Amino acid sequence: MRDELLYAHILLALAVAVIAVIIIRQKNKSPLTKNLSILGAVVSWISVLPAGLLYLNFYPATKTLILSNAWPWAHEVIMETKEHWGLLVPVFATVAAWLVLTGKEKESKKWWTLVLVMVVLIGIFGRLVKLGALA
Amino acid sequence: MKLKFNFFAGVTASSLLLTLMVIVAELYAPFKDILKAVFGHHWIGKVVIMAIVFFAVSYLYRDKKFSEKNAWYSAIISVSVILLFYIVNYMVSA
Repeated sequence: MRDELLYAHILLALAVAVIAVIIIRQKNKSPLTKNLSILGAVVSWISVLPAGLLYLNFYPATKTLILSNAWPWAHEVIMETKEHWGLLVPVFATVAAWLVLTGKEKESKKWWTLVLVMVVLIGIFGRLVKLGALA
Repeated sequence: MKLKFNFFAGVTASSLLLTLMVIVAELYAPFKDILKAVFGHHWIGKVVIMAIVFFAVSYLYRDKKFSEKNAWYSAIISVSVILLFYIVNYMVSA
């Protein structure tokens, strides 16, 4: 179950990142951008589910391990930040999608860039947390 | 189709509220305990409250003018303050 949730968590985050990149790179208005925006926002909300299930059911054991290892900051700073930044991503993606749907594609790119940067940073943070459990 | 939401208002309210909840929950244990008691876990409490505030404020302020600039700065401030808070909190408690 843990592995399935982890794969779902990573794949959904990757999907949001890919959608953000496609929209950022779009030069002209197109129906594709609108559909992708809706998809990006919906997927970002859905991605909270596997992330939450992992965090609530499987992370406590990892947390104990990290706090007893050499990198307690991997939990105290990195994971604490990650678990809350993750809540902001769907909110930002919804704003970005709303801008696209209201004809403000150009303005939406700034928000999609924020979504992309946060997803990438959250991914890096996830790797640091994993390393913290092994440190 | 005219969308009946103003997500600039929603993102401003919800991102700043999340930042506030993060700080208060860390510094004032009874608040974290209340979230745990009501929602089962403090993180679930923050998700639920933030999502409700995001959509409720976006809907309630649907006809009000709300600047994109304020929404953007609220988002950036929230992201930055959450990270900085945990860095400082770790350094103080280490």
